[in-house]
Amino acid sequence: MMQQPIGKIVKSNSHIDYVCQVFGVGETPQPPAPEDYSFGAFVAAELEANGGTGATLVGLIYNTLLMNPEFGALGPRLSPRSEVEIFSPDYLAETATLLGVISIGWFDAAGRAQQGVPALAATVNCPVRLLTQEEIITFHAGMDGQPQLRYAPQLLAQKHALVAPLLLSVIDRLSDLFPHSRSRLAVMRNNVAWKSIVQPAG
Amino acid sequence: MIVKHPAIGTVKGPGETPNDYLFIAPDPERRVKHGEFVYYVTAVDGDERQILGRVTGRRPVKLFPDSFLADPGVPPTSVAALLGYESDATELFEITVTVLGYHSPQLGDFINPRVPPVNGAPVYIADDELLGAVLSKRRRGERGSAHIGSLLSRPEGAVPIALDVRGFTGTHLAVIASTGSGKSYLAGVLLEEMLAPHNRAAVLVVDPHGEYSTLQEMMNLAEFSAGNYKPRVRIFRPDQLRVRIDTLTIADLRYLLPNLSEKMHYQLGRAFSFAQRSAKNGHYTLEQLLYAVRQTAEGKKNDEAGFDEDDPTTGALIWRLHAALGNSRIFHDFENLELDELFKPGQCTIIQLNEIDRREQQVIVATLLRRVYQARMDTAKGKLERGDPSHLPYPVFCLLEEAHNYAPANADAVSSDVLKTILSEGRKFGVGIGLITQRPGKLDGDVLSQCMTQCIMRITNPIDQNRIAESVESVGRDLLRELPSLSKGQVVVSGASVNTPVLLKVRKRITQHGGQDLDAPAEWMRWFEEDRPAQAERAAALYAEKKVNYEDDGDVLWA
Repeated sequence: MMQQPIGKIVKSNSHIDYVCQVFGVGETPQPPAPEDYSFGAFVAAELEANGGTGATLVGLIYNTLLMNPEFGALGPRLSPRSEVEIFSPDYLAETATLLGVISIGWFDAAGRAQQGVPALAATVNCPVRLLTQEEIITFHAGMDGQPQLRYAPQLLAQKHALVAPLLLSVIDRLSDLFPHSRSRLAVMRNNVAWKSIVQPAG
Repeated sequence: MIVKHPAIGTVKGPGETPNDYLFIAPDPERRVKHGEFVYYVTAVDGDERQILGRVTGRRPVKLFPDSFLADPGVPPTSVAALLGYESDATELFEITVTVLGYHSPQLGDFINPRVPPVNGAPVYIADDELLGAVLSKRRRGERGSAHIGSLLSRPEGAVPIALDVRGFTGTHLAVIASTGSGKSYLAGVLLEEMLAPHNRAAVLVVDPHGEYSTLQEMMNLAEFSAGNYKPRVRIFRPDQLRVRIDTLTIADLRYLLPNLSEKMHYQLGRAFSFAQRSAKNGHYTLEQLLYAVRQTAEGKKNDEAGFDEDDPTTGALIWRLHAALGNSRIFHDFENLELDELFKPGQCTIIQLNEIDRREQQVIVATLLRRVYQARMDTAKGKLERGDPSHLPYPVFCLLEEAHNYAPANADAVSSDVLKTILSEGRKFGVGIGLITQRPGKLDGDVLSQCMTQCIMRITNPIDQNRIAESVESVGRDLLRELPSLSKGQVVVSGASVNTPVLLKVRKRITQHGGQDLDAPAEWMRWFEEDRPAQAERAAALYAEKKVNYEDDGDVLWA
């Protein structure tokens, strides 16, 4: 069963770096809970929603930002919040949760998984949903059934402070999904952990 | 499939020299030791081959930061775990391997593929069976094998190493080790193997310390008997040694006679020729030699006595000859050690030279070696008939303890020349030499470099290490670096008798070891416990109680 959308693409910083706005109250019948857009979650941006090719971008949530125009307005309020909800609901809608999503591959129209930099880009308002467990396995399984992590170099090249924890969480998740490949995933995990945990602490 | 075990590492790439490669290994069990043998598999001319190599270096490439080691009571793994690194994979080593190649049974040697392994190729520890088959030229117990121990990097006895007896008896052997590192023990093991039923060698041991006599046990041990074969061990003690005076050369005489003047040298040379010319069958006695000295005196008067007593040169020469030869129990007019008594297949002859003057030792060895070499040459050329005491129709092997005394580096010794001759040419006539020395720095470099099989034990002296590095080509720098850290009984064997240099532990001797150090504190303690009470008892039995008389002021008057 396909997952419900958790938000929509609202901006991009590069071909692979997108900003997704999480649906708030009133935008969707069932707004997503915070655990639906946790750090390291695999998400999909459906390109067909806007009359596209039927491909689906696959991405990882690597960052969360909270938008709050009220921040900094430290003066007294003329109207209490309960009244604002009644008289100016638009004002409240200006607060938003934004997700940093990095694109790590795609499913083509035939449902075949491709890892790496996708050829296509998402469009604004493209809905974003979580990947199911089956989709995560399909996305990572190679021809021989062994897990593939071809987007790891692309992640490591981002020079972002959260890339290493992101990769560690991905590897841990894959170790559960591909138990027979734990040893090779452990080599990668140890390597990333040594460089991101032990070496910087020395 | 020629791979039997899981890989221990992965090839990184070529090393510094064309024969080296590097591999990376986590090695949590510390199996990749210095000197360990590893291999990778590659196709050579269409066949899958195990390319054997020896570990020559080990460098950590993944280390905890120094700051993690700040508290000796806190292991760095726990600091890493504190930060979230909980894996056991905390170490990684870059291992340098020197390639030996794959073993070709046809050639009996290693063939180097001359191409480094591919990056990422798995590397395996060579198993005992493989090493047992390729490191030694001979199988243990086979004819021509000398099983002297087992590979050091493996459990004792797992990979037996057998030297090729043909190799070291043909192209000579050097056993180099500092005092107390077990060189005599190793020599004992070698002699046991040479006298074993599968070798039955004709061996002579020059034993300046009298520490090989325990080899006599071989005659009564079942391990050394087979069918009607039983080894024989003959010991010639110092009082049994004889060198017939006419076997001494002019060089020997000059060496034995101290402080000869130019004139004496000249006259001695003439007298020697005279004695040889006038001797029947080449034999002459000391008296005849002295007569020759008198006959060849300058300005000799033809008086009745036949010599001029007043000629100081003649007098001095005669005096010196008397002192050196006449008063010696070694040099004799008629008796000699016959070669057919000294050398027989299946016989180990031990010449004990303890209590003999250094120069006499050198002359004994020189004359012996010269006679052996001549006898082997004459026998090979058919000059000697069967029944002649010098007829030696079989190759012989001579083991010289304290060899630096017989071919010193910076001094003249009468034995140097004959030793060098045999070392360079003895191979053709089947005279093999084994040199044992504790000071290779004092041994003539040419002599050492002529020994094509080397057994090197612990050497800490840098001069000795340099001499080994200069003279011994077959031992790589990596093994030379091991020398100071070797323990007693550990030996690097290289050269013609093994397929590749190996580090091994010498096996246990079957016979007792005769060269053990004296336990001085134990001896002192024993004196107090046994000898002193016995002495006191004897003293009490012999003498009545001593009376002591005192003077008035208390001084002892007499006791």
